[in-house]
Amino acid sequence: MRVYFLKRLIEIVPTVLMITLVVFVMMRSIPGDPVVALLGDAYTQEDAIKVRQEYGLDKPILWQYFIWLGKLAQGDWGASILTGRPVLQDVLIRLPVTLELIVLSMAVALAIAIPAAIIGAVRRNTWADYTATTVAMVGVSIPEFFIGVLLLLAFSIGMSGLLPSSGWVYLPGTCPSVVCAAGLFGNAQHVLMPAFALGVGRAALLTRLLRASMLEVIRTEYVTTARAKGLAERPIVFKHALKNALIPTVTVMGLQVGFLIGGAIVIETLFAMPGLGTFGIDAIIARDYQQVQGFALITAIAFVVINLVVDLTYTFLDPRIRYTG
Amino acid sequence: MRSTRLATFIMFVIVIASIAAPLLADAQTPKRGGTLRVSYGNEIANLDFHTAPGYEMMWVAMNVGCSLTNITPDGKFVGDAAESWTTSSDGLLYTFKLRKNVLFHDGTPVDAAAVKFNIDRMKDPATKSGMRPFYEPVHSVEVLDPQTVQVRLKHPYVFFLHMLSAYRTGLILLSPQSIQKFNVEDRKQGKPGSIVGCGPFKFVEWVKGSHLLMERFDKYFEPGLPYLDKVIVRVIKDPITEMAAFKNGEIDFIASFSPEHVDTMKAQNPKAQIMTGKETTPMMAAMKVTIPKDNKPMSPDRAPHPIFGDLRVRKAIGCYGIDRQEIVKIAFKGQATPWVGMAPPGTLESVNVNHLCPYDQAKAKALLTEAGYGPSKPLTFELMANTEKSVFNVIATVVKDQLARLGFVHANIKVVDKVSWMNTTLGDGPWDMYIEDLLSLITIDSNGYLASAYVSDKSSAWSHPRHTDIKVDEYFSRYAKELDTTKRKALAKEFLEYMATNMYWNTISGSPFYMVAQPWMKGYTYNAEFEVHYDKVWLDK
Repeated sequence: MRVYFLKRLIEIVPTVLMITLVVFVMMRSIPGDPVVALLGDAYTQEDAIKVRQEYGLDKPILWQYFIWLGKLAQGDWGASILTGRPVLQDVLIRLPVTLELIVLSMAVALAIAIPAAIIGAVRRNTWADYTATTVAMVGVSIPEFFIGVLLLLAFSIGMSGLLPSSGWVYLPGTCPSVVCAAGLFGNAQHVLMPAFALGVGRAALLTRLLRASMLEVIRTEYVTTARAKGLAERPIVFKHALKNALIPTVTVMGLQVGFLIGGAIVIETLFAMPGLGTFGIDAIIARDYQQVQGFALITAIAFVVINLVVDLTYTFLDPRIRYTG
Repeated sequence: MRSTRLATFIMFVIVIASIAAPLLADAQTPKRGGTLRVSYGNEIANLDFHTAPGYEMMWVAMNVGCSLTNITPDGKFVGDAAESWTTSSDGLLYTFKLRKNVLFHDGTPVDAAAVKFNIDRMKDPATKSGMRPFYEPVHSVEVLDPQTVQVRLKHPYVFFLHMLSAYRTGLILLSPQSIQKFNVEDRKQGKPGSIVGCGPFKFVEWVKGSHLLMERFDKYFEPGLPYLDKVIVRVIKDPITEMAAFKNGEIDFIASFSPEHVDTMKAQNPKAQIMTGKETTPMMAAMKVTIPKDNKPMSPDRAPHPIFGDLRVRKAIGCYGIDRQEIVKIAFKGQATPWVGMAPPGTLESVNVNHLCPYDQAKAKALLTEAGYGPSKPLTFELMANTEKSVFNVIATVVKDQLARLGFVHANIKVVDKVSWMNTTLGDGPWDMYIEDLLSLITIDSNGYLASAYVSDKSSAWSHPRHTDIKVDEYFSRYAKELDTTKRKALAKEFLEYMATNMYWNTISGSPFYMVAQPWMKGYTYNAEFEVHYDKVWLDK
């Protein structure tokens, strides 16, 4: 197990490097130049050339990449071309917001998916099953931003502004600046709608997947044996069927993290949240190469680490699974 | 009996009046304290006030910094750090008497030396300020005594005070000590201590993506001002979220509100103060007039653009082929003025030259036929719009449709993001026509560096059409030097007609600008994008 874990950790390095290289090359291949935005009103061709030299943008792309990599090895993530702010500092400020959003949206997804899938599987072909399946289908079909807008209309514009429409209240102790709001209740108020908007689509997908897995497991011989032994339905469903049916769902959950990061860009923009999603999209629009690299790096790390955790989770769900070097 | 009733009634009125009068008076007395929560639709680019682009930065700069003078909505100049000023009869000497009690936020005085430092800094090419072309008339700045500074001009410049007050940020005075202590990178990111102005609010912090915070400067030179304790600026890009936040009372002021949502805002918030005014921003369908002859971007060696280098085509498409009325009706729900002149209707001394470009399909067809286009040789060009404002795309679609009615003109719409648009246009890249609203023009002169001839020493990369007609520069120069108002107005008319006749600058309409405030936000004076000051704002909560 330990050898496997170490092997996977080592594998993370080339994976992340490959992702950052692809992003690095792609960003510089698309039209647009951060120097234009930087110089703004004062743009002249001469100054643009000087600034490109200053930031090393005149060098071959691969050479630029190795310079970036060299600095990264020393813990320097670079600084934003447009604002001059250290990228690592900005990433660390925004990471907790997005992590919280992703974790909670996944929690929302599971909170909806598990009961719906169980009901759908256990009471197959009943109105409850049809309802769960239909809701899941609708959930998959509606884009996150639309759910977000509906939630805004319902809970912010309607219902006397029950929930705040935008902004962020940090969890106590995580405030990154001199002045910012922090508090558990305020945080819950602010994260509820974004997490729900982001989680519903995932919930729908997981419901369909888990329901199919549950149906498969419920038909297996050991479940029939358990029933024949007179075991109550509840432990059969929760202890024997659900646990085994969760394995493919957990795999998909890991892969869904990538979609959640993508969805976070939309949801954070809609709810004006100071997270990594808005950081990433602003950086891409402004062609702020250093920030885009920071964004790609942190999301790549998050993606591979979460998938590693998912793989390790299998051993807890099914003790028969053993990893060897 | 009757007299008793009357006496009782009078007594009742007196009592009510005596109770209500102080309450009414109190309602109008500014209250100190509170935090003004402002929403911006775009992120602040950076905080180096003398170089950063974008209105979002400017609206911070105007409150952290002070200037020599400001301008009121009716065009009067009022002193800011300057108590008074005089202008010599030949228009060459401007002498500013400074207030004695003006301090920068670091405690250093705003004296004549500080003013000289700042103007010299704007003139210095190393500062890379986009405002530098407007300081070209400045010959020298002299410190007469600590409270008196004199600016000597090379030639008369009628709009010198306009420029100091409201071209971009106006002249923002920054503490020389802080400028020398910190570098441009520090200022860009808002490093503590690096942004030291003399305005009503001190800059506290900027957490990009989250907020920008300003706090009251207790030693501000205007006694009792500002009323607010703090101003916090948040960025809410989505207009629906912005409206929800406003309705929910999460924000007090929207600094720039999208025109297409004004009706919804009014319906949802009947008590909201929706502010608008003169149309000072031109919505353009710009056409590229020349391209680099040697294929080197920004080359002064120019050749006519293959399509719009021909004046007949420019006039056919930009002048007669576009129905401005229809565009305004569709894109702005009629809430803008169809306009042909380079300077929009709200710009000082602007003249209506719409008669020069009536919508006339027959004329457009005739000109295009003369230029060699027709059903057998259709005219196809690229119409670029960027994603910054949805209205650009709407206008591009209407223009495409209108030109298609000519029968043989195909405008292919290309939608790009703002940075790509800037790259293409600023970098002299290949483009034919674009829809944009560029910037607000307080005077015709303030369009100097956008509309001047590309080959002249006054033009900038923002002179996108890149025409090479030096006569335009002569017009700008003569206009800005003309001290006689009547003669200047006549010159303005001639100039605007010249620009329209030659289609160097193709305006479609004015571009309306809206600000929205909660009913409890008091004391704000609307002056479009030019002056956004929170010093007299107070919250009646």
